[in-house]
Amino acid sequence: MKTNKTITFLENLTDEMLMAKVANGNLDVLKILFERHHKHVFNFLYKMCGDKMLSEDITQEVFYKLMKYRSSYNNGKFVSWLFTIARNCLKTHFRKTVNTPESIDTTAIKHIEKEEEKPDYSDLQIALNQLDASDRELLVLHRFQEIKYEELANIVGSTPGAVKTKVSRAMQKLRNIYFKNI
Amino acid sequence: MENKHYIAQLPDYLDDTLPPEQKEVIATHIASCTTCKEALKELQILSTAFDNEPEVAPSARLRDNFFAQLEAEKQSSSKLIAMDGSSFSKKTNWPTTFLKIAASIALLIGSYFLGKQQQAQIAHTEIALLTNENESFKQTAMLSLMGNKSASKRIQGVQFVTEFSAPDETIVSALIERMLNDENTNVRRTAVEVLSEFTRSELVTNGFIKALKTEKDPGIQITIIQILGKIQERNAVVPMQNLLERKDTQPYVKEELELVLPKII
Repeated sequence: MKTNKTITFLENLTDEMLMAKVANGNLDVLKILFERHHKHVFNFLYKMCGDKMLSEDITQEVFYKLMKYRSSYNNGKFVSWLFTIARNCLKTHFRKTVNTPESIDTTAIKHIEKEEEKPDYSDLQIALNQLDASDRELLVLHRFQEIKYEELANIVGSTPGAVKTKVSRAMQKLRNIYFKNI
Repeated sequence: MENKHYIAQLPDYLDDTLPPEQKEVIATHIASCTTCKEALKELQILSTAFDNEPEVAPSARLRDNFFAQLEAEKQSSSKLIAMDGSSFSKKTNWPTTFLKIAASIALLIGSYFLGKQQQAQIAHTEIALLTNENESFKQTAMLSLMGNKSASKRIQGVQFVTEFSAPDETIVSALIERMLNDENTNVRRTAVEVLSEFTRSELVTNGFIKALKTEKDPGIQITIIQILGKIQERNAVVPMQNLLERKDTQPYVKEELELVLPKII
């Protein structure tokens, strides 16, 4: 009864309040944050690399890092921090596996092509895959994860204004690709 | 021509995040521009595609693996702290903190009972002395009893006054002091009752008049009013009238005042 109450109480807290508790050493609270966000992280990674297994591995790595580096949490927007870590994990992965100076997007597409039984990608996913990784990243974060320009700027290391312009341009590119395909 | 289109602003137009003036300009433009109208339509379709894109669920393996990592981390971090004796981590200090709290509670309860026992012993000695020794000794012991921390002991002390055939000024002053200033209502009430036996003394009647001004307990107020009414104390008329006019005086106290006041002539 008591634990149920505690959990309901914790579930009403913001991500930032919960992460502050984790940073103070209450590791169990990280389970709540995992439940809230692991699907979003996983879907972001899956949209970026098109590989389910890899996305699961990296999602696990993201939360592992969250746990390991909990004390370095600076009380900023949790979602920004989370996706910054996710983004870096993905980058590191590609840097490790690919020794040639190939860009992330070609590697990502290779991943997709490599798969034996191609999952039935939606027209949108196919169009997204043809974008640059940086454009795809912005659209996936902004449109799927509904991350606001301000936080998006934090994640990619830019200003909200610049990010807004980039998102708008990426959207135009996607539109052209999408309707060319159809 | 391209410059005049609003292609770049269309996503925000669709999301309705533009300031109203700009929104209106674009709306007017779209109405007469087929390029922008087409672009907007396509964006709408694209936007719907984003909304309809299904979310993929990761396998249960992800949760299991991460929760296992979490448990391992919990174990290792507590082990790490356990080895490090100087650590001030909240987690390891719990047992010691608990012990500290338990010890302080034990100390508190222990000293409370010790103190209580000593008080009781003193009181018992005082009562024993009262019954055995001569009047002057009784008086000292009784005064000390009136100063006791326990309210019941003070009442006992106050009631001992009735044992004196003619209490001297010190005792009467001590009683008045109790009546005026004791924090316990019962002690004050007993003091009033005992003092009502000594209304011939001017000291006592002045004490009653004073108490009429300070006393807040309606029961005691009424007793004092009745005593003063009975002895027809003229000096009490003004304080009684004041009490009658005071807003915080209870209605039944006022009734008593209205009853008693006309009788004092």
